Amino acid sequence: MTARLAVGFAWLAALAAVLFLLVPLLTVAAASFSPTPVFDLPLDGASLRWYARIATLDGFWPALSLSLQIALLSTAIALVIGTLAAIAIVRGRLPGAEALATALVSPLMMPGLVLGIALLQYFRAMGFTATWSALLLAHLVVTLPYVARTMIAGLALFDFTLVEAARTLGCTYAGAILRVMVPALAPSFLTAGLFSFLASFDNYPVSIFLTDVRTKTLPIKMLQYIEEAPDPTLAALSTLILAATVILLVASDRLIGLHRMAGTSE
Amino acid sequence: MLGPSGCGKTTLLRLVAGLAAPEEGTIAIAGRDVTRVPPHRRNVGVVFQSYALFPHLTVAGNVAFGLSVRGRPREEIDRAVKRTLSLVRLEHLGARRVSALSGGQQQRVALARALAVGPEVLLFDEALSALDRNLREEMQVELQRLLREIGATAIFVTHDQDEALTMSDRIAVMNGGRIEQLADPKTLYERPATLFTLGFVGQSTRLRGTVAEAGDGMVAVDTAVGRVAAVGSYRAGSSVVVATRPEHLRVVAELAGHEGAEHARNSVDGRIRAVIFQGSRSRIEVAAGDQILLAEAPGRIASELNPGDAARLVWPVTETFAYPDPEARA
Repeated sequence: MTARLAVGFAWLAALAAVLFLLVPLLTVAAASFSPTPVFDLPLDGASLRWYARIATLDGFWPALSLSLQIALLSTAIALVIGTLAAIAIVRGRLPGAEALATALVSPLMMPGLVLGIALLQYFRAMGFTATWSALLLAHLVVTLPYVARTMIAGLALFDFTLVEAARTLGCTYAGAILRVMVPALAPSFLTAGLFSFLASFDNYPVSIFLTDVRTKTLPIKMLQYIEEAPDPTLAALSTLILAATVILLVASDRLIGLHRMAGTSE
Repeated sequence: MLGPSGCGKTTLLRLVAGLAAPEEGTIAIAGRDVTRVPPHRRNVGVVFQSYALFPHLTVAGNVAFGLSVRGRPREEIDRAVKRTLSLVRLEHLGARRVSALSGGQQQRVALARALAVGPEVLLFDEALSALDRNLREEMQVELQRLLREIGATAIFVTHDQDEALTMSDRIAVMNGGRIEQLADPKTLYERPATLFTLGFVGQSTRLRGTVAEAGDGMVAVDTAVGRVAAVGSYRAGSSVVVATRPEHLRVVAELAGHEGAEHARNSVDGRIRAVIFQGSRSRIEVAAGDQILLAEAPGRIASELNPGDAARLVWPVTETFAYPDPEARA
């Protein structure tokens, strides 16, 4: 009886937690349809006027483009470097591989603000002032740990005999990596890429130190909008980002799910 | 290639496959020197201990892998996959995912994948050891049938002496990175060339002693339990180990008198220490002095023996062999 009660209580707590997490998101989504310029729940009718206004926001398109560029590029570079580093750590029998792995993942545990200030000073000291490149490098620092962590875990479970098997069946070493290791690790690549992309796309604390007046990423621009004119346009934009993220996650889940069915999980 | 773990048999197999490079020496397959040829151009088929099936491909996809890497036309690949899968009796499972197969089936997919490219040599790395006993014995028989059918040369690596004796035409017993003996199973068992082979393949009874008389390929050895005659060429005074297989030792009721080594047979008197039932036959341990001798007897005879009984062991001199004593300095 007490066990049942405990389970029931746990369910209630879980439900409350889910509500606590979801209600703000739902509120923003609801507010985006407000017909009035007040950031409020639309009680009398719905409108898409704020969605139409997103495109006309000052500097919106350059900010979106910059954020996408930085997120996609830093993810792509992090996937290559992170995977190679993971191979070295898992397979290389390096002295101190464990310490190297920890170091590689450590920016995850570092507060973004600290990272941002450190990078700013570092780039200044080096005389490195190109905003775009500085942002890309900084975001590489942000995304690399996600890739390294996921790929180290994925590779630790990968049977390298598969590569040897492919070689005896006629593959060159590089061919074996491409034809066997990459597809077998596809779920890991997808997970790593997804987290890395999202971490970069919504990064604020590191970017804020490295952007200038003309070059601003979307999260920074959004904060600026809300300071200038807090109308539901921001809610509409947030809702669109939310929707895009959900679509990305669902699509990835379906993809990974399909791979799981193909027996490539773990 | 048979030997204990760590003896180098898998390393040797990897050298043949090209997955490891030798520091010296040459590797030739059918007379062709392949020492510097990378694995993908060696035309060997390897069946790995873990099978190493590609999880992202179906059964047919795994079998087709080698041919599709070689860029063969689609129809040829399809035909080869069909033929090879029917050879291992899995033609109905081509569309399955490999993870949905049982251990025995995965083993056969691994074999089919290796066979599909028409390799000159097939290499098996402990390929049966992951299967349970019954399945393993079944696969041993089936593999032998298959290898006869396709007429391929196969090298097995195993630490299981029964598997080696069952499957092989020739066995290389390995120890410490060296081949101790390369011989057919019968010779290996009946005429082990070294003490290691004797101990690794089958059971044995051994006695340590010193050569008292020598000549004509025979030696008379003084042991703790008396003089024993054996086959071997050693100088008088050498330290040797004389050994024989337990099945040659016959337990007879103790007779009056003790003749030691007669002209055609050795005999030792002792007391039965234990009779261990092992199904069709029993293992009998006889204590003589501070030595324990191992004998074997069919169940019918063993049932009349009791621990504590006095017994005489007799065995033919021609089945007794002398080896250098590894613990004595020559």
